[in-house]
Amino acid sequence: MSKIKITIDGKNYTAEKGKTILSVAKEMGIEIPTLCYNEKISNSNSCFVCVVKDIKTGKFLPSCSATASDGMVIEASSPEVVDMRKTALNLLLSEHTGDCEAPCTIACPAQASVEEYVRAGKNGNHLEGLKIIKERIPLPISIGRVCPRFCEQDCRRNITDKDEPVAINDFKRLAADLHYEEYMEERPNLNGKKVAIVGGGPAGLSVAYFLRLQGVSSDIFEMMEKPGGMLRYGIPEYRLPKFLLDKEIAHFEKMGGIKIHCNKKLGEDIQLDDLKSKYDAVAITVGSWKPSSMRAEGEEHSVGGIHWLEKIASNNWQGENPGKTIVIGGGNTAMDCVRTAVRLGSKEVYCYYRRTEKEMPAEQIEIDEAREEGVIFKFLSAPVKVRIENGQKIITCNEMKLGEPDASGRRRPVPIPNSEYDIEADTIIAAIGQKTITPDGLKLNKWGDVDINTDNGQMDENVFSAGDCVSGPATVVEAVAGARIAALGILAFFKNEKYKKAYEINVSRGHWQSLKKDDLVFLNEPIVRSRQKLSYIPLEERKTTFKETTRTFTEEEIAKEGERCFECSCTAKSECKLKDYSEEYAAHPEAIQGAKRIFNYDTRHPEIILDRNKCIKCGACVKICKEVINKTLLGFVNRGFETNLATEFDAPLPDSCTECGACIPECPVGALDWRKKA
Amino acid sequence: MIKRIKIGTGSCGVAAGADEVFDFFSENIKDIELVEVGCIGHCYAEPIIEVETDKGSIFYEKVEPKKEFLEKILNLENSSRLQVGGNRTKKEFLKVTELAGKIDPVSYDEYKSNSGYNGLAKALLMKPEEVVEQVKISGLRGRGGGGFPTGLKWSFLAAQKDEEKVLICNADEGDPGAFMDRSMMESVPHQVMEGMLIAAHATGASSIFIYVRAEYPLAIKNLKIAIEDIIKYKINHINGRKIFIKIKEGAGAFVCGEETAMINSLEGKRGTPRFRPPFPTDKGYKGHPTLINNVETFANIPIILREGGTKYAKLGTKNSKGTKLFALAGDLKYSGLVEVPMGITIGEIVYEIGGAVKGEVKAVQIGGPSGGCIPAEHFDTPVDYDSLTSLGAIMGSGGLIVIGNNRCMVETARYFLDFTARESCGKCTFCRIGTTRMLETLERITAGDGCEEDITFLQDLGDKIKKGSLCGLGQTAPNPVISTIRYYKDEYLRHVNEKQCNALECNALVDVFIDKENCIECGLCIKNCPIDAISDDFIVDNSKCTRCNSCIEVCPKNTISRIPGGGISE
Repeated sequence: MSKIKITIDGKNYTAEKGKTILSVAKEMGIEIPTLCYNEKISNSNSCFVCVVKDIKTGKFLPSCSATASDGMVIEASSPEVVDMRKTALNLLLSEHTGDCEAPCTIACPAQASVEEYVRAGKNGNHLEGLKIIKERIPLPISIGRVCPRFCEQDCRRNITDKDEPVAINDFKRLAADLHYEEYMEERPNLNGKKVAIVGGGPAGLSVAYFLRLQGVSSDIFEMMEKPGGMLRYGIPEYRLPKFLLDKEIAHFEKMGGIKIHCNKKLGEDIQLDDLKSKYDAVAITVGSWKPSSMRAEGEEHSVGGIHWLEKIASNNWQGENPGKTIVIGGGNTAMDCVRTAVRLGSKEVYCYYRRTEKEMPAEQIEIDEAREEGVIFKFLSAPVKVRIENGQKIITCNEMKLGEPDASGRRRPVPIPNSEYDIEADTIIAAIGQKTITPDGLKLNKWGDVDINTDNGQMDENVFSAGDCVSGPATVVEAVAGARIAALGILAFFKNEKYKKAYEINVSRGHWQSLKKDDLVFLNEPIVRSRQKLSYIPLEERKTTFKETTRTFTEEEIAKEGERCFECSCTAKSECKLKDYSEEYAAHPEAIQGAKRIFNYDTRHPEIILDRNKCIKCGACVKICKEVINKTLLGFVNRGFETNLATEFDAPLPDSCTECGACIPECPVGALDWRKKA
Repeated sequence: MIKRIKIGTGSCGVAAGADEVFDFFSENIKDIELVEVGCIGHCYAEPIIEVETDKGSIFYEKVEPKKEFLEKILNLENSSRLQVGGNRTKKEFLKVTELAGKIDPVSYDEYKSNSGYNGLAKALLMKPEEVVEQVKISGLRGRGGGGFPTGLKWSFLAAQKDEEKVLICNADEGDPGAFMDRSMMESVPHQVMEGMLIAAHATGASSIFIYVRAEYPLAIKNLKIAIEDIIKYKINHINGRKIFIKIKEGAGAFVCGEETAMINSLEGKRGTPRFRPPFPTDKGYKGHPTLINNVETFANIPIILREGGTKYAKLGTKNSKGTKLFALAGDLKYSGLVEVPMGITIGEIVYEIGGAVKGEVKAVQIGGPSGGCIPAEHFDTPVDYDSLTSLGAIMGSGGLIVIGNNRCMVETARYFLDFTARESCGKCTFCRIGTTRMLETLERITAGDGCEEDITFLQDLGDKIKKGSLCGLGQTAPNPVISTIRYYKDEYLRHVNEKQCNALECNALVDVFIDKENCIECGLCIKNCPIDAISDDFIVDNSKCTRCNSCIEVCPKNTISRIPGGGISE
């Protein structure tokens, strides 16, 4: 066989005559992406993702089909070629509709694989579910109880069942309650690296966890008597029983290599400089522990919300009846305070908030439960001053009205002139937010929080940070998400690298608020069922004890609830060539915008779905059917942008396709797929 | 004395009423022979009648099926005689269309008596390679648009050893406004067939397919009659072989005019282009070596053979020989089919043949939707393949649209791209999605919602679509956009920055205004407004007005006009 000489990307090579540029490049170890190319069928040369440039003619060639000829000089990865490929991918993305990932997973700060653990729960595989959850969430007992459920806010069930998303968080709670103690992660031997973690709250524990999974040991230094941070001292017992928290935290030490040292406060018992030199890296996870000021005269006569809760927590959730209690604020801490006051025996508990219920940052369920427990809400009221007259605390408030929206998008409360009024109280609690008490020697941002590189959690040199002390007071799941980044940042730092999350794209059909029922496409016709109801302990018990207010769903309830999941994510999410190449070539679903054509899933076949919204018209399925199977069940119809994949005479695919299915693995984007998810 | 009367009943004539004229004349004329002929190319004057007398022919224009008109003709009166506009008679050079409209298209005898099939007879006396050589010497290049040297292409097929070689006549004329091929097939089908038979001899082809669009029923009818005669007179018996001839009616996909897509379509497959190489002359229809030439190309062949390649090559420029047919349309006085020698300037065609007024023409669009626009300042450019390419246009198949000063170039580009985007076969990513994205961007700009980045986007994506498409459709689809941005960027910028359309053509960017000073308050505008946007005191409510122009057209005093405006509000 005769030979030809070819130059690809500056490298000379002698190849056999008659081969395509693609196969010669492959021999040379030069990888060229392909979408429509498939060895089993004749070439389509239509996607133009495999494009290369012939320097001598200046032409761009589909390398899958162009024959390598003698003396050819080819650019297979020059900026111009890369730009062509990127544009081809951007064009394909611009007409590609689907959901790479389910909206719940996208909404989860920790990016837990929600759809997957919900499915495991539905199928009764709770241990499997826990395993999936713990890939991203090391504190499932706590988060399964206290998470504000970002996932549920974006759940598409909200379209068909208003305010009744799938009860996602309860899947975590059940899986953790059933299997937390028996499940132990696979983990490598310790590799000798050791990290000091300052602060034993959710962020600190999570940094330790993610490091341990990679063989790095850690010492956690906790200033309080016991670890857990806000989970222990901020979140009341009735929401998260501390015996469960103890069980959860015990697991970390069981993993081997994580040691928790309590009563060690930074700046007093331990010094940052010492840690920096003694350990390979330091993680600052000290939280946000300073109550914000009410900016009202006489504030000293009130007590900060988290300080008040901490005192009661330290006393095993016992304390004096606070009498007539006024809590200022509308967040979850305010709810924790009012409901704790009720449980301590107060018969008169008020929540004063300067806007209306609609603007309250607290979770609705917390507000509802507080109200059930007898808490009285006063909206559009803001404190002006606190004073003591004849031993009686008196708080003066202003009536407010809502003005223009502020930076947060909520309408700004404006005082109504001459509307001041007085109320007497025995206890006044200011629960209006917290600030970070930052230890000396840390780099701070303009809000007084630790200033880090958000890519990798790095503050300086070998010091990393995560959690509330970086973000300001936030949620447990956000602390966990930040902790994972800091852990990955530390691991990369050990290899002299800088961690940065790999570029990821997500094609989405859109947020449920922008969709109508008819816009949804379903793998299977969704079941009609309302959300499983949470069951409560009797109200009297709720008001008089710190017993956990709600019960964990039963396995039966969870199985039923799991059937409500629409399973929004793409069936091919882990094997989509369009997504992989788009990420490799930095293409973006919104880079080129324009009309998309929306189709329903063709679900007429019992086991195969045809999703034309995803189809990139590569023709692989058409050719597999025709050239390999010798059938013509699939083909293209229409022209131009309207080109579409169709079944023969638009009939449903025959049942016999179940046995064949040869086209399915060849579809690069999951437009043809099995109707079932793993 | 009147010898006979010829009525042009080509599709263009029929559209203007030639059938009615023919019926009326045949009922009312008894003793004079009445013949239906094809088209002489003067569309603006249809229906046209030629009266053959012993002193030569007299042409009448805009003939009506009326007694008075008939009498006028029979008396050979002077009124209504065809007035050939401008300098057309001097500038045109009728070579390929010499017989078009002059002879009965379906009469074998009449074609034969006008030197028909002499070229074939001459060719059959020559060796095939000598015929190819003559075509090479003639310098003929493909008239379908590509401009590939015809003789060279023939030599590729001739060199193939395959027993079954295929000739395809590309008669899938798809450019909007182009009708050169239709006119040739309707008017001189034998001439096209003769060219193909000569090619069959020269290349050794055993089959001939004529791929003609189904929307050309008269062309198909006349070709069929011609083929019947060819078979009857055994003209298709060449070198002891009977050449198989078949007409394939295309279903109307523009892309099937692309040769590899046409082969797919002939084979019964979806009309999408194939990657080349292999070129059709190596591996074409059902794997056999295949040659595809356009109707006009084949129609040139008998002439080359008759007069010899050397003589043929005397006409034209260095690299473009012979004549070219153009379908002349747009903002000009005399539309029609014209045949001009290569090397004539665009200006001569537009002003002297088309009768357009200097100063009122902004540009021409040459080459149909795949071509580009050439501004009036470049009208001294000679019409040849290379000069047109250097200006960003192409010779194309012969569409030539004159664009007046009152036309918006952004809208013009949008119009052409709208066509190509729809006609993309949907195979290549860049063409399938890219043309639609460009179209959407142009629609945004003409709607007043564009921004400067849109122009850069159009240029960048347009460039990539040209590079990243397999066939001529995608490789040329962005041309109208790229060439209008090249020459009329100021118009684009005014659309995006000032939301104004210079030509007052983009509805979203104009208002309609009644000049009350000259208004006579006749009320015609109010009566004709379809959506009651004009008040009783003659004020246009521009938020209601759809810019349909009805009022402007009916105003007897020309007091209503389109003015730069705020545009249609939602």
